[in-house]
Amino acid sequence: MAAQTFNSSMQPTDVYGGDEVSAIVLDPGYSSIRAGFAGEDAPKSFVNSHYGLNSQARLVFGDDAIHNPSAGLEIRNPMSKEGIVEDWDTATSLWEYAITSRLTSFKQADPRTNGMNDDNKDLEMQMEVVEGEEKALEEHPLLMTETAWNTTKNREKSIEIAMESWGCPAFWLARNSVMAAFGAGRATALVVDVGASTASVIGIHDGLILKKSVQKSNLGGNWLSSQLRSLFASQDPPLELIPHYMIASKTPVDAGAPPQAVYRKYEKDPSDSFRALEEERVLTEFKESVVQVWSGPGRLNSMNATGSNNLDYARSQPGRVFEFPDGANQMWGVERFTVAEGMWDEKAALPVPNEAPGTKMTIPEMVRASISAVDMDLRAHLLQNIVVTGGTTLVNGFTDRLNNELMAMYPGARIKIQAAGLTAERRFGSWIGGSILGSLGTFHQMWISKAEYQEFGASVVEKRCK
Amino acid sequence: MSSHDVRDMLDLPGDAPRPAKKQKIAAPRPVLKGLAREVQNLSGDNPIAIVPEVTVFKKRRFATRKPAAKWELKPFKNSARNGDSLILRHWRRKTEAPPAPVAEDGNGEPAAAQPPPEIDDSTFAKYNVRVQTPKYNDEQYNTKLRSDDWSREETDYLMDLVEEYDLRWPVIWDRYEYELPIPQMDVDAAEGAIVPAQKVRSMEDMKARYYFIAATMMKLNKPPELMNAAEFSLLELMHQFNPAQEVARKRFAEAAFHRTKEEAREEESLLLELKRILARSERLTEERRELYARLEAPPSQGAIGVYSSSQGLQQLLQQLMTADKTKKRRSLMASDGISPAGPSGQHQQGNFERRDSINRESISGPSASNNKKGPSQGISERRQLTADEEKMYGVKHLDRITSSGPAFRHEKITKPITSKSSIQQQKIANVLTELRISQRLRMPTEEVGKQFEILLQNINVLLDQRKLADKLAGEINIAKAVKAEKEKKERAERGEPEPGDEDGEGGAGACLGDGEIKMEDGGREKSAAPSIRASSVHKRSASVMSGVSDKSTKRQKK
Repeated sequence: MAAQTFNSSMQPTDVYGGDEVSAIVLDPGYSSIRAGFAGEDAPKSFVNSHYGLNSQARLVFGDDAIHNPSAGLEIRNPMSKEGIVEDWDTATSLWEYAITSRLTSFKQADPRTNGMNDDNKDLEMQMEVVEGEEKALEEHPLLMTETAWNTTKNREKSIEIAMESWGCPAFWLARNSVMAAFGAGRATALVVDVGASTASVIGIHDGLILKKSVQKSNLGGNWLSSQLRSLFASQDPPLELIPHYMIASKTPVDAGAPPQAVYRKYEKDPSDSFRALEEERVLTEFKESVVQVWSGPGRLNSMNATGSNNLDYARSQPGRVFEFPDGANQMWGVERFTVAEGMWDEKAALPVPNEAPGTKMTIPEMVRASISAVDMDLRAHLLQNIVVTGGTTLVNGFTDRLNNELMAMYPGARIKIQAAGLTAERRFGSWIGGSILGSLGTFHQMWISKAEYQEFGASVVEKRCK
Repeated sequence: MSSHDVRDMLDLPGDAPRPAKKQKIAAPRPVLKGLAREVQNLSGDNPIAIVPEVTVFKKRRFATRKPAAKWELKPFKNSARNGDSLILRHWRRKTEAPPAPVAEDGNGEPAAAQPPPEIDDSTFAKYNVRVQTPKYNDEQYNTKLRSDDWSREETDYLMDLVEEYDLRWPVIWDRYEYELPIPQMDVDAAEGAIVPAQKVRSMEDMKARYYFIAATMMKLNKPPELMNAAEFSLLELMHQFNPAQEVARKRFAEAAFHRTKEEAREEESLLLELKRILARSERLTEERRELYARLEAPPSQGAIGVYSSSQGLQQLLQQLMTADKTKKRRSLMASDGISPAGPSGQHQQGNFERRDSINRESISGPSASNNKKGPSQGISERRQLTADEEKMYGVKHLDRITSSGPAFRHEKITKPITSKSSIQQQKIANVLTELRISQRLRMPTEEVGKQFEILLQNINVLLDQRKLADKLAGEINIAKAVKAEKEKKERAERGEPEPGDEDGEGGAGACLGDGEIKMEDGGREKSAAPSIRASSVHKRSASVMSGVSDKSTKRQKK
């Protein structure tokens, strides 16, 4: 037997302190819900937070269903713009879908072991158990994440769902920023989390968030999309965003030329919310492939060391071509820098309809506010442990710019940014942290058990999960 | 086509019989599977180099045919969960004990349905440690812990927070939200009433309060006299907490935190400078240490007397050569293989020089010119020494090699001492210490060596003379004693009473002679010592030395 290979019969508890109890980690966000078993390195279940309400008033979940351009399909999101749950009923079924579609099911266990083939006495007992098992998570402790600004009512609601609707034996509610820090291997960190709906900067000490340091704004992926829409509207002629489902066929055209495409005709046009969702997909693609953050030093509009404007330099950089679904394509030069500049320099933000300009905190400002709200002795430590997480931070040049901004802001301090190199680790940072936490042997004493819930009620979550 | 065929065609008489058949190639070719015979034949005598195909991708895991390890979903509890009966399940190796039927059924809550006889405790329960916070009762609070600034309620709140957050002060400070109890009033009155302003507690306030309580309670529970060192130092530490100083420190740190870029750069450059200085000083001490280590090298073990003569040295060289040869490394010897330890002294000298010249400039320039083996470029590189330098380095040009061959200078210097008997050596050493000259010369230059030699000669003479003087004095004493005895006897024979004056005179004479000798002795020593000492100050000039020795001999003659 090969001794050097890791032997499956050895128990690795002494290696990493893990003790897996098949806990499920659920990390709901504005754009997607991540769910999976604790101890794994990526969520098995990744479900779009948007759900569909079809014409028969039935809810449809998942990417397979909601991108179907059927008439009367309304797209909704149970989460508020702040990333906390608004519509609890749908959120519950959406999460249940996320868990049961990939992780657990009501399927019987292996017939050799489920006792079905045992003698009659056992069988009777077995049947009783099966009858009782109607809840999704009877066997699995549930670790759920929440935002740092979640309300007490919402927190109590989540434990109610977990305990009453799903029948979890144990539950824990963790802050997603803390989990992101854990995912990066740090218990004390300054977490810069830029997701779809919100961007937040939160100081964490020893696995506990520092409430005074919580800073958030809406400079997330959705805001970036609104910047893109403003950019497209300001083009001459205004660029119309046409999602994929409207295109039947297209012919290649030269850059800048009007599109030549055959559009699909629908008897009844899909709803506006559906179109918004589909447009968002195109914008996501655009963000992934074209948008770039001016990585500094200095702001995009400021002068650089050679005396020329950074904007001029950016203009001289080669542009990128993006082809829209209808075939229209053009080279995006300096515009790809300007759309993201508003995250760093509020004066540079493009005007967005129904939004007052210059009312938000930019990311460096949030860091500054967050850092100055913690104890002096902790600041240097936090600046050395900046954890960058969230899907929007994957925009090109984000971490470089953050580093440059912070270096300019705190010239004397040592800045160290910890940003996962893998895309999945950056997007699922808080889920990964939850996966680590949920699989630790020392965590089992923390769970809120069903007995405790029954004894103290839903308010136990406020007392325990601090 | 072989030569045989040619002969056949040309009808030449072929004496060689045609080989019956072409001989088969000696070794049968390795049979390569998966390759057409034609392709294989193409290669001729040289078989195609093909990496043999490995059909087995991986070794089978269970070569030992042991049955697969059995695992089971085992329930366990965690005793760290304050009496809560949460039972979770994890996969564990199945022990070969009688199987527990409940643990295997795979669904439901087995523990609840039919609790197995014993449930393991989590191995991680032992890591649950909590901070011990001081507890106090009403009486203790009222007598010892009262504070004008802190109410009882707020103190309790603080202590609860401290316990809850395990003394993580940044978190305690962050979460501190003490609300003053609202006085019982109706709403309208409360609207207008002056609500006492919420006190903003700094972290230092909290720490000071907590440490005061903790220290007081610690003292109450255990008098300081009975505490062990750790406890006492903790108590001292808590007593010494100074909130004002902490605040000042934090303010200072904050100022440092908000430095401008220029200040930061300046500090950075200063730090860099400091680092460089430190590195340099470190290197210096390192070098110095190394130097000391070299200076204080332990004396070499074993006698070196064997190698002190030129023959001995040659022998040593020979030994080294053989050792070198056996090592098969790049040899010490010249590439032409002639042993440098040839019969001619020049030869040998040249070899030494060559070795020297690797490390430093050779100082024996002229002698190198008659070195046959020395590389010519080596000669040209060597500097010719001026007369001054020759003198400085102590270079001597000999017409012919002395009979003893080359020897070390210190050898020459110590030889006069070491050749003596050990008693003699001791005596010489005594004289040298008396003169405050160390036995080992500090700077054994040629000049000093010569002077030392002369000094040693003089010391020898001195010792001889002293010996002689001692002998003579002894004889004189004996003779005097014999004479006195004889006179006594004569007087006794004559029946004369002992004449006091005569006796006194004789005794005095004896004494006088004795004293004179002694005095002379002392005087000699006294006079010799300073003069030689003086001479040692004045470069130990030979004339002074000879003067001293003359004086002592003269005195002896007297």
